[in-house]
Amino acid sequence: MNIPNSSTAPNANEYAGDEVSAIVLDPGYSTTRAGFAGEDVPKSVCPSFYGHIDSDSSPQYFFGENAIHNPVPNLEIKNPWGSDGIVEDWDTATKIWEYAITSRLTGSKPGNPGKNGLNDANGDDMDIDIEGLENMEKPLEESPLLMTEPGWNSQKAREKCIEIAMEEWGTPAFYLQKTGVLAAFASGKASGIIIDVGASITSVTPVLDGMVLKKGVQKSPLAGNFVSNQIRMIFKQSQPEIPLTPHYKVASKTQVDAGAPSQAIYKSFEIPLMESFHRHEEERVLTEFKESVVEVWPGPGRFSNGTNEEIAKSQPGRPFEMPDGWNQVFGVDRYRAAEALFDAGAALQDAENPRPKDEHTIPRLVQAAIQQVDTDQRPLLLQNIVVTGGSTLLYKFNDRLNYEINAIYPSTRNKLIAPGSVVERKYAAWIGGSILASLGTFHQLWISRKEYEEHGVNIVEKRCK
Amino acid sequence: MASGRDVRDMLGLPAAGDGQKMAVQKRPKPAAAVRKIQGVAREVVALYGERPPPVAVYEEKKTYRAKRQSTGPAKKWIQQPFMNQARNDGLVLKHWRRKPTATQSGLTNGEDTAMEDVEAAEPPLETNYDFAKFNVGIDIPVFTDEEYDVHLRSDDWSREETDYLLDMVKEHYYRWAVIWDRYDYNPSTKLEPFSRDALHGDPNQALATLPFAPSRTRSVEDLKARFYDISAKLMKLRIPEVQMDASQYARYEILTKFDPLLERNRKTLAAALMNRSMDEVKEEEFLLAELQRINMAANRLDAEREELRSRLEAPIPNQQIAAGLASFQSSAALAQLFQQLFQQDRSKKRASGTAGGPGRLSLSGADIIGTPTAAQHAQMNAAANRRQSLAQQPPPTPIRQLSPQAEYRFNVSTHDRLTSGVTFGADKLLKMRQAKSNVQTQKIGTALAQLGIPDIIPIPTSRLGEVFEALVSKVGKLLDVRKVREKEEGECRILEAMKERRANEAHGHAGHNGENGDANTGDGRGGTPATSTTNHREIQDSQERDEDAEAEADADEDGDVDADADDDDVDAEGEEDEDAEGEDIDIDSQAPSQSARHTSEAMSTRVISQGHKRSASVFSQTSNKSSKRARK
Ligand SMILES: Nc1ncnc2c1ncn2[C@@H]1O[C@H](COP(=O)(O)OP(=O)(O)O)[C@@H](O)[C@H]1O
Ligand SMILES: [Mg+2]
Repeated sequence: MNIPNSSTAPNANEYAGDEVSAIVLDPGYSTTRAGFAGEDVPKSVCPSFYGHIDSDSSPQYFFGENAIHNPVPNLEIKNPWGSDGIVEDWDTATKIWEYAITSRLTGSKPGNPGKNGLNDANGDDMDIDIEGLENMEKPLEESPLLMTEPGWNSQKAREKCIEIAMEEWGTPAFYLQKTGVLAAFASGKASGIIIDVGASITSVTPVLDGMVLKKGVQKSPLAGNFVSNQIRMIFKQSQPEIPLTPHYKVASKTQVDAGAPSQAIYKSFEIPLMESFHRHEEERVLTEFKESVVEVWPGPGRFSNGTNEEIAKSQPGRPFEMPDGWNQVFGVDRYRAAEALFDAGAALQDAENPRPKDEHTIPRLVQAAIQQVDTDQRPLLLQNIVVTGGSTLLYKFNDRLNYEINAIYPSTRNKLIAPGSVVERKYAAWIGGSILASLGTFHQLWISRKEYEEHGVNIVEKRCK
Repeated sequence: MASGRDVRDMLGLPAAGDGQKMAVQKRPKPAAAVRKIQGVAREVVALYGERPPPVAVYEEKKTYRAKRQSTGPAKKWIQQPFMNQARNDGLVLKHWRRKPTATQSGLTNGEDTAMEDVEAAEPPLETNYDFAKFNVGIDIPVFTDEEYDVHLRSDDWSREETDYLLDMVKEHYYRWAVIWDRYDYNPSTKLEPFSRDALHGDPNQALATLPFAPSRTRSVEDLKARFYDISAKLMKLRIPEVQMDASQYARYEILTKFDPLLERNRKTLAAALMNRSMDEVKEEEFLLAELQRINMAANRLDAEREELRSRLEAPIPNQQIAAGLASFQSSAALAQLFQQLFQQDRSKKRASGTAGGPGRLSLSGADIIGTPTAAQHAQMNAAANRRQSLAQQPPPTPIRQLSPQAEYRFNVSTHDRLTSGVTFGADKLLKMRQAKSNVQTQKIGTALAQLGIPDIIPIPTSRLGEVFEALVSKVGKLLDVRKVREKEEGECRILEAMKERRANEAHGHAGHNGENGDANTGDGRGGTPATSTTNHREIQDSQERDEDAEAEADADEDGDVDADADDDDVDAEGEEDEDAEGEDIDIDSQAPSQSARHTSEAMSTRVISQGHKRSASVFSQTSNKSSKRARK
């Protein structure tokens, strides 16, 4: 008998848990999260970007953080996700996800290296592989799989998911749940409105008793990547233009004064690297910039309302140093990058980046989502506004969101639920999945292999509502 | 260092000087128990003073963490396969479980214990999954095709869509917001109605059923209305209205009273309330603040009036002052004195402050004005008032009012008076069973036993208590009525016998009948059916012969009505379900009442009316008594 105190982990019976070594897979545009259900963080977080070297004889694929940042000639960096937040390139997406699962969780089993793409260098292996496929152990033979999907996923995409899980990975049981619901679960809520600002898509999902209200799901492209593009434009439009040099180009750097040109020794590459690789490396620097400099105007009022800009100017700036040593203190500019998430009119524009639509800003998305919900449920949802996704980590994001929502709904009690820890904010959907798949009562919901074989792929529409 | 005296003073205990005498008395006792304490403990004890601290101090070296029990080797865990009975596809998953120890399984197969260690041995499949019990479905009204055709048809809803609606309700567990969100009905058999309509040549209808016709959007209220309508109709079909018990009827009421239009209006209003602009919300807030201010002003006014009235009466003499300065030695006493002086000072100030003007007691303008025109003035005032009123008394926190449904749902009950301490519901029930006299208690017991109510009721909830109380009071009444009836029967019999004897005397048949009547009265009750029938015949005989008796033939009716009225009295107060049981009890009293009816045929109206009167008064007495008991 051990006496429970605050430091002992709860007994599985106490939270109705029953772990069946299920695996939870939460694929996103920027990273793919995977881990065992019942754990509190995903063990495996892999970039969703992959490297690809196209040659006529045999294309080469590179997965994982270590592989895709190597400055290798002809290496293209791609992403299987489409711009609408639904997977486009299913074949590669499958490989990435499988890599995320096998690299850290299930371990590499005999025969796996031939399949996960890492060793596909020589074309002559192919024949052996295909033969071996039949009796090769599939990666998920032992573990049920819970996968997450965006709220607007198409039926085709959902069917594809179960097909991959069942046919290619051989999972004994499968379930598909929406990220919105899971993010709410991660905060201990069964109902709420979930604001998820990820890399490529911002979405607002009303959830009632663990079920997505489909009519209310809203999405927009104003998310992390959009903010990155805004930063690029700030750099470009600044006088003089701010140079954006990714790490891989720099051999060594020396300290320079703020604003002074950098004095670094650059690496030279005989065969020029691909543009997509360069852009992806730039993106890393921009993410750093987002993390440490960019700030959301916290309200009250919009940043561009005249007086606020003056107030912002009086605030102390934040310094940033590029990988090549160039550095500067960013003053009022740092408020501009993310302002368009709330105020489309404040977006920086150029030929490639037209003015975003007003209805794509976060306050308007929330409004549209609430509008589609039964009146009686609206106050309940507004009391549980769950904030999740990497881009909500932008400094002061929640303050502004709070201000905007209170401005729209002054008469209800609106409460933001934003987990403080970075991990919980970024991986909320995965954590919710981890909770769900380790509940004893959940195990009756799995779609089993037998059911899949009986009913085919469209069982996922019937069962995963 | 603080001495024991200081500590006592801080804690407001009587001073050592006062306690000296007590200590002297007490000393012998602790002296006997005192051990010589050494080291730090001694100083700790010195801090206690004379009295031990009110909290228990554990001096033993106790460890509050249970020791790890390391008996034998580490326990083994296995991946136990299990099957979930909530599923019907036989999916086998594995979870970690303790390996059953050898001793456990050794009981079943003694020699095979060695086998247990063989790793290859597959753990047995667990088929009784704990969590399957949480798989609860919901009840959905079901109906047959005939029932649908007869009762449930609707112009607006096809059978197919009705079925779809029911499926949706079942699938989403009555979550109407979700049902409405997912509701996407598109008639599957387009072709058939189309061809039929085409034959009939109704172009409008035909168009409506075409696949490209825009699907009708139904509001939540439409869906609810249809579903509630079906539920109510089916409920009425299954259980006639009169047989529903209270909760069933309440549900039936809710179902039938649903008005989609009203509901829709309510929602529009709610939405409008939610979509108010910031200004409107601010205005409302402002008005509410004003209202609160006015209320507070009124409160303060009341308080001041109260204070004045109490000051008009003689002040309470201060005993402590009379006791002299010596009584102000402890800090508590000093604090009290300070309070007193402070109060006096304050009330004096206030009195002088308002002496010149119209006085606080008349409603000064600033106290009443709440119009936004005087807003600034009022706000200044409000601030000042708030400061004052803060010093006086906080405004009472409003108690949240719940609707009866919510109260029922959250099991909230309000009591006029709560007794302290914990009571058991079972005790309450037991108390109700007990009457003043032993005999009565026993009678109640047997009556309850007849009703099939066990001696100990498993879960005595408060609602059950109420029902039980009602039942017991009814049983009490029933017993009282029975008693009255028995008494009256006896009287009737005596009177009848007397009358018979008189009649016999008149007709010269004295001997035989007189004996019979004596036997009846001596018996005290209706007697065996045989005697009562003979009795009856004889009465009839006597009626035929006796003209007097015939003239009062309507006495029969009167008597009947009387008896019936008593019956009704008991029944009318009963609830439906106890009704039936109440009748069950009556069965055994039926026999005597029957005979009472027969005997009363021969009774004179005068006697009956007397009896009636008496019974009524007795009845009112008993009902008084029983209601008193119920109140207890
Ligand atoms: N601390 C941070 N501050 C601002 N943005 C961040 C931060 N951390 C991550 N991001 C951004 O969040 C996005 C990734 O969020 P995530 O929720 O993981 O997206 P997805 O679910 O689409 O993979 C990226 O665009 C990244 O630049
Ligand atoms: Mg995401």
